[in-house]
Amino acid sequence: MQEPFRAVASREAEGGREIAVTVRNVGMDFDGVHAVKNASFDLPKGRFLTILGPSGSGKTTLLRMIAGFQTPSSGEIFINGEAVSAVPPHKRSIGMVFQRLALFPHMTAAENVAFPLKMRRRDARTIPERVERYLELVRLGGYGGRRIHELSGGQQQRVAIARALVFEPDLLLLDEPLAALDRKLREEMQLEFRRIQRELGVTTINVTHDQREALVVSDDIVVMDQGEIQQKAQPIHTYRQPRNAFVANFIGVTNFIAGTVRAVSEAGDVSILRGDLMLAGKIGDPVNPPAEGDKASGAIRAEQIRLAGDAAQLSKLDCMLAGTVTDTIFEGERMVYEVACAAIGDEVIRVFDHDPAAHTQFDIGESVFLGWNARDMLVFR
Amino acid sequence: MRAARTAYPLKWRIMDALEGVAAAIWPARFRRATPYLMLLPAVLLVGLLVLGLIQIADASLRTLDTTTFQFSDDYSIANFRRALTEPLFLVVAQRSLIAALIVTAVTLVFAFPYAYLMVRTRSPGLRKFLLIALFLPFFIGQVVRAYGWLIILGNQGMVNEALGLVGVAPMRLIYNYPAVLFGLVQYMLPFAVLMLAPALTAIPEELEAAAGSLGANWVRTFIHVVLPLARPGFIGAGVVVLTLSLTDFAVPAILGGGSHDFIANAIYDQFFRTSDQGLGATLALMLVALGSILVGLVFALFGAGTLAMGRSRA
Ligand SMILES: Nc1ncnc2c1ncn2[C@@H]1O[C@H](COP(=O)(O)OP(=O)(O)OP(=O)(O)O)[C@@H](O)[C@H]1O
Ligand SMILES: [Mg+2]
Repeated sequence: MQEPFRAVASREAEGGREIAVTVRNVGMDFDGVHAVKNASFDLPKGRFLTILGPSGSGKTTLLRMIAGFQTPSSGEIFINGEAVSAVPPHKRSIGMVFQRLALFPHMTAAENVAFPLKMRRRDARTIPERVERYLELVRLGGYGGRRIHELSGGQQQRVAIARALVFEPDLLLLDEPLAALDRKLREEMQLEFRRIQRELGVTTINVTHDQREALVVSDDIVVMDQGEIQQKAQPIHTYRQPRNAFVANFIGVTNFIAGTVRAVSEAGDVSILRGDLMLAGKIGDPVNPPAEGDKASGAIRAEQIRLAGDAAQLSKLDCMLAGTVTDTIFEGERMVYEVACAAIGDEVIRVFDHDPAAHTQFDIGESVFLGWNARDMLVFR
Repeated sequence: MRAARTAYPLKWRIMDALEGVAAAIWPARFRRATPYLMLLPAVLLVGLLVLGLIQIADASLRTLDTTTFQFSDDYSIANFRRALTEPLFLVVAQRSLIAALIVTAVTLVFAFPYAYLMVRTRSPGLRKFLLIALFLPFFIGQVVRAYGWLIILGNQGMVNEALGLVGVAPMRLIYNYPAVLFGLVQYMLPFAVLMLAPALTAIPEELEAAAGSLGANWVRTFIHVVLPLARPGFIGAGVVVLTLSLTDFAVPAILGGGSHDFIANAIYDQFFRTSDQGLGATLALMLVALGSILVGLVFALFGAGTLAMGRSRA
């Protein structure tokens, strides 16, 4: 009965690596609420996958099903090629770091880290040495005797990581464990995760709604919205080639200009008409391309637009729009301009100014020109 | 009009008015005294108790002259000597103490699954049912409940009648020690559940999930995570059940039928049957001492649990 599944589930991935986790057509219903719909992906061994999505998109639900705390309403999950729906959490070899850490408050840091080893009946003589080694791995050597409440937030985080890794699980699951930390510590811990994951080579699934974290730490990103997987790709592709308007909008700062498709070429060039303005762009989603006459919108990122006081400076760019600065937001490393453009009905376009040489500064009310290249505008239905 | 009402609801206006009245009666400069003022009723109550205790201590030192039914004017420790040497009182004290210990242990064992299910169940219906079942006995009262057991377990009670139908001779199900223990456990169960539930609520469910993912099955999760973390609840519930059982009156009186008296029944007899208030007072003092020693022992060994309001242990 399971043979065909197993044969498919344990196939080699594109890179020739073995598959650690397969999620196939998995769905989860909570009394009519579809928390996860028909999710499928493969995760090769040793990779770091991030599930990224807004609040309520089903990330935690998907993770809990992989961990075994919830049973999928439909579909099947395979770990190392084995269907696991009948396997309880304590028999799966999964280390999990919880959103609120779930450290045992009545134990010391070392006792917390030793817990999974004791539960798995490892040789008692090797436990102390092993615990200390993993505490050192998370840079907490010598802190083993502390109680949990005697540790700082970041240190507790590290204990949780050590505890999830010490028994060398096949799979590490992280449910937004960094969400509660301040930004500096969070960025430090993101790199720490990355370092430890590379050092141990453990297959990891991380859940977050922080797009920066997803881009920085992952080999692959799965973007979810309303229970559905929108795209699975490497970070750079997720950012540069979003497959639909949701992904384009969720990651980065993106402007959308709605219009009607006028022409589509074999090579993937599209032009859309908005009022009297014709805009040239590229097909965003080759699987679901727009056709002539469709309503569509062109997506252009804030950092791909150039800003200038006179039109001549932008003459090398494919598209140009005139507008008026309505707001300026200083973000330290860059200035964000909001520009209302008459040609698109005074809709506001956001532009990052990161010109390190000129340091030109525009004020609210000033007339400016925006320019960009046609290949940077992706057109989605 | 409507917007204004939602922005500043009536409840707030009433509170403002009340605060205004309070400020007129009790101006801000008296505010430092407010906490002490609020303690006053409690202090008065405890003070009255202490006064009563002094009265009892005084009575305990006077002996009853059985010919004149007068109390002696001078103090002696004769009552204490009697209480400590007469076998009857030792038997009663021993019986109460052992019963209290057994009842505490059995009640905690029974109360835990009930409290756990009530706290952890995902079904709101079941939780409501368990809560109502928990409070129902409080509405019925101890005496009525003990009397109810007479109806059920008595010689002509329902159980014996049912046994009779299947040809079993009537059995003596009450007026014995197990019946008293049974009645006490049944009486204490809701108290223990009420003391355990908050301690269990305070244990994040995620900890149990974490233990599972770390390789612990439910038995080991229970032993290594739930039980140690529920400890403050066990201590609180244990102390309450222990002291309530040790000092109970109605259950041994009704289900023991006079032949399985506890200390409280002996005290009652001294006050209202033999009218020896001196000896009654002595027994009462010794009961207070016994209870205090037991509770002190528990606190010394295990900390104060939930009764210390989160300051139990480092
Ligand atoms: N036990 C449950 N019962 C009913 N509905 C649930 C349950 N758990 C989750 N849901 C619903 O399923 C959806 C997805 O929830 P989930 O917790 O997976 O979101 P999430 O992506 O992790 O969000 P967040 O980023 O806020 O943690 C939500 O609409 C949520 O209300
Ligand atoms: Mg979540």
